Amino acid sequence: MPEPRSGRRRLPRRRAFTTAVAAGCGTVLLAALTSCGSTGAAGHHITLTFTWWGNDNRQARTEKAVHLFEKEHPDISVQMSNADFGSYKQRLATQAAGGGIPDLAQLDYRQISQFATGGALLPLDRYVDDGTLHTGEMDPSLVGTGHLDGKQYALPMGRGITGYVYDATVFEKAGIPAPQPSWTWQDWADVAARIAAMKLTSPDGRTVAGANDGGSNEDVFEDWLRSHGKQLYAGPTELGYTEQDLAEFWTFCHTLQKSGALVSAKDSAQADATGVSAFSRGLDALDYSWDATFTGFTSPTGHTMRFAPVPTVDGRAGSYFKPTMLIGIGAHSHHPRAAAELMDFLLNDPQAGDILGVTRSQPPNRKIAAEVDGKLSGPDLKVWQFDEVMQKYGVQPPPSAPPKGDVAIESAFVREYQRVEFGLASPAKAAHELVVQAKQELES
Amino acid sequence: MSVSQIDVTGPSARVADRAGRGRRTRRGREARWPAYVFLTPWMVGAVAVTLVPMAVSLYLSFTSYDMFSAPHWVGLRNYTEMLTDDPRFWRSVLTTLKYVVIAVPLKLALALGAALLLKRLSSRGRGFYRSAFYAPSLLGASMSIALVFRALFNDGGTVDRVLGTFGIHIGSWVGNPHLATYVVVLLTVWQFGAPMVIFLAGLQQISPELYEAAALDGAGPWRQFVSVTVPMLSPVVFFNLVLEMIQSFQVFTPAFVVSGGNGGPADSTLFYTLYLYERGFTASHMGYASAMAWLMLLAIAAVTAVMFKVSRSWVFYADEAE
Amino acid sequence: MNLTLRRRLPHAVALLALIALLYPLLWLLVTSVKPADEVVTSVDLWPRHFEWSNYGTALDGVSGVSVPRLLGNSLLISLGAVVGNVASCSLAAYAFARLRFRMRGPMFAFTVATLMLPQHVVLIPQYIIFNKLGMTNTYWPLVLPKFLAVEAFFVFLIVQFMRNLPRDLEEAARIDGCGPFRSFFHIILPLSRPALITTAIFSFIWSWNDFFAQMIYLFSPDKATITLALRNFVDQSSTSAYGPMFAMSVISVLPIVLFFLVFQRYLVQGMATSGLKS
Repeated sequence: MPEPRSGRRRLPRRRAFTTAVAAGCGTVLLAALTSCGSTGAAGHHITLTFTWWGNDNRQARTEKAVHLFEKEHPDISVQMSNADFGSYKQRLATQAAGGGIPDLAQLDYRQISQFATGGALLPLDRYVDDGTLHTGEMDPSLVGTGHLDGKQYALPMGRGITGYVYDATVFEKAGIPAPQPSWTWQDWADVAARIAAMKLTSPDGRTVAGANDGGSNEDVFEDWLRSHGKQLYAGPTELGYTEQDLAEFWTFCHTLQKSGALVSAKDSAQADATGVSAFSRGLDALDYSWDATFTGFTSPTGHTMRFAPVPTVDGRAGSYFKPTMLIGIGAHSHHPRAAAELMDFLLNDPQAGDILGVTRSQPPNRKIAAEVDGKLSGPDLKVWQFDEVMQKYGVQPPPSAPPKGDVAIESAFVREYQRVEFGLASPAKAAHELVVQAKQELES
Repeated sequence: MSVSQIDVTGPSARVADRAGRGRRTRRGREARWPAYVFLTPWMVGAVAVTLVPMAVSLYLSFTSYDMFSAPHWVGLRNYTEMLTDDPRFWRSVLTTLKYVVIAVPLKLALALGAALLLKRLSSRGRGFYRSAFYAPSLLGASMSIALVFRALFNDGGTVDRVLGTFGIHIGSWVGNPHLATYVVVLLTVWQFGAPMVIFLAGLQQISPELYEAAALDGAGPWRQFVSVTVPMLSPVVFFNLVLEMIQSFQVFTPAFVVSGGNGGPADSTLFYTLYLYERGFTASHMGYASAMAWLMLLAIAAVTAVMFKVSRSWVFYADEAE
Repeated sequence: MNLTLRRRLPHAVALLALIALLYPLLWLLVTSVKPADEVVTSVDLWPRHFEWSNYGTALDGVSGVSVPRLLGNSLLISLGAVVGNVASCSLAAYAFARLRFRMRGPMFAFTVATLMLPQHVVLIPQYIIFNKLGMTNTYWPLVLPKFLAVEAFFVFLIVQFMRNLPRDLEEAARIDGCGPFRSFFHIILPLSRPALITTAIFSFIWSWNDFFAQMIYLFSPDKATITLALRNFVDQSSTSAYGPMFAMSVISVLPIVLFFLVFQRYLVQGMATSGLKS
């Protein structure tokens, strides 16, 4: 048949084609869209989502443990995702708002109140009662950190303590002895100043500062406060410190920073933006850290890394053992029982415990902890020895979980101190602004 | 189709009416129901996706709402808190204004310059460069390019190193509150291709006779630019100005990526939309975020209205002059 | 001499501008094949050693979800937006351009006004509604609105185009007894192809790049789009993964670049005639 030449007569053909394409696309699309919800029907294959934050070491170990679980449960597969802590917090908060907390999520101590009161977490009591989740081998006070308003919302994944990771090679060069549990904040400042005065060169050719600037870290402030005999929170809606306390802390940090003892504001901000600390770039020799995080530290300079306690005020320690992180189940999980099984596996299975080691600090299960501790070597062993020392030193028990709103206050803390660092606000003014914001968060 | 047919002079309903009138004279009354069939999806969308959500968000802006428990009425509290008791709100406003005031004129100036340049090329070269200059406008909104800019302006990034060879050691722009905004500005300016294409179309609409007449009167290139190009192009300039401004107020992805998601350092990239997202979606203050959205709507409407008002004194419409 | 200089100068300037403009893209391409140590230490743009395995690492995907799957998810959403916008916007545009009905003026004015409406005003209630409908973590919130002609820009673009089509064909068809429906499908729609193609391309690209909506609506790794996955990849990797990160960036913009290369004529013309964008 010859091709018709008139435009009008050709049209129906093209139209038929267009319609066919449109219909085709529509059908494919519809099929794809409707198929979304149908994965993992009852009795068949189940897919769980599990998310956490942490370094490469933790990632490798967690993946290995989860793969073992998948092998033992062929009907369950697990999709894992992880991120650095800053992004993780933000993402999980966004998902919580939409009822989308993954089946299993690693949680920060500070997030529990916020998510539990917001109905984003599933109470675990049912699974504890029916024996899916075992807590018998865990320290009750540690289990209690995941307890809120009479319900268990999360279980601890580790029990750890904060401290200072330091570059022992640099310390030796400077002739500074290893810090003792009773060292003070003033000692800490002197050490930082002494190292800075040596004007060592970092891998990228700049001068090495003494220590990281902890002014933007709420955890450092909390340890500082506690060593001064105060608390971060006096109650669920009340701060435990005043504007003056905070201004004093920020003045302490900022004065040291300006003198060159602490890393520059630019480098701190860079670290906040990229999640790579100045310490791990070799720009300073002393950095605040968790015991568990310490085990993942690798030095860019090949130096020896050691772990020291948080400074004190005349021997009064501010740091304390707390859950390094907890684990909970999303309130809208389609497979809460499977999620609980995986949770129990990660917390109580001896093989999993062996794989995970102390990547989240001391395992909460005492038996596993004893088992794991016997096999430690390298940095893991150092951390264990450190914890033993701190244990004997007699640190205080954990305070009650930070109230809802603390997550926002923690971000404000970073922000406001950055304003101090860059000369946009005085410590007193920034402290005032922070307290105003904190009160708003706690009261709303 | 010519640029002048886009009705930038006032409510576009006028255009629709004009077309309708033409039709009426040609034919008498006809059935109206088919129109509503064609309009069904549009009407559902206008009501369900636009009007109802607008009303809901207006309502929410007077409440405290965290998505978990029912919203409760707080009257004007969100608005008063925002305006009188929230330093971050004002920081976000200032950051956004600073960005709009710097980025939009810079982008348009570059677009106009490029359009004038391309107009002087042969038509083949013009076609090529027009497409090539336009490419960044499509890619600029992507996460990838924002990541590239972030890396280029990072500590030890290309920009830092190049400046370093000139003895200028700034370090990271991204981590410096005095400079971080400019990374977003540059990323925006990089996308000048889109308004350029519109300028070029506008330039090509200007009748060569006008230039010939001006040349006969003894006008040099500069004089021709001032008395022919500028007035004839002014409607297009105005059009671009309004659009770019409205878009710039809503910039999100680049700010999100450059700041690592939190508007930092020290709130220097806390763009209005980023703060709105943070209040609404990570802090669960949906009422407050709704109030911010409505304030933004009012601000954009007000600025646009002022621009239209002021435009009468500098925008020249050839068809009105006739 | 003077004349050739005057002719060549604009070319030279344009070429220089082009190089400056394309530098970030070149940098992206080159960095995507750089080995980790060179990214950190080397000042040179050109790598001394090509690390193609960066692409292998990137193709492994994020959270066990492979890149083809992620691209497929993005494609599904973008094609959904294309079909939805082309279908619904052309229907509405035809009514505005060619038919008479009550309230046409105000309704069209409303559409034009929504061009200026910041998304955020409707975003939160939409989010709440989709959440209540249990549609978060599905593609519905990202696709469904596109079938309701809510992107005023496209309605406007197609109206402009249709209004300039000659009326003769329709008049002739009308005399033959053709109603508005046949007129639309047989005459107007085929003639409006350029405007529909422009609509399709912009729908595709905007939807592909729409990070914000994807971020708030999609949670689970297997639903993620390539853009979301890229963000997750960035968040979970250290600086040593710079190469793979930018390899993934290249993959994520590749479809846009291809679209651009194939359809750039329509794109640029669409821009010029409408004078509008997102």
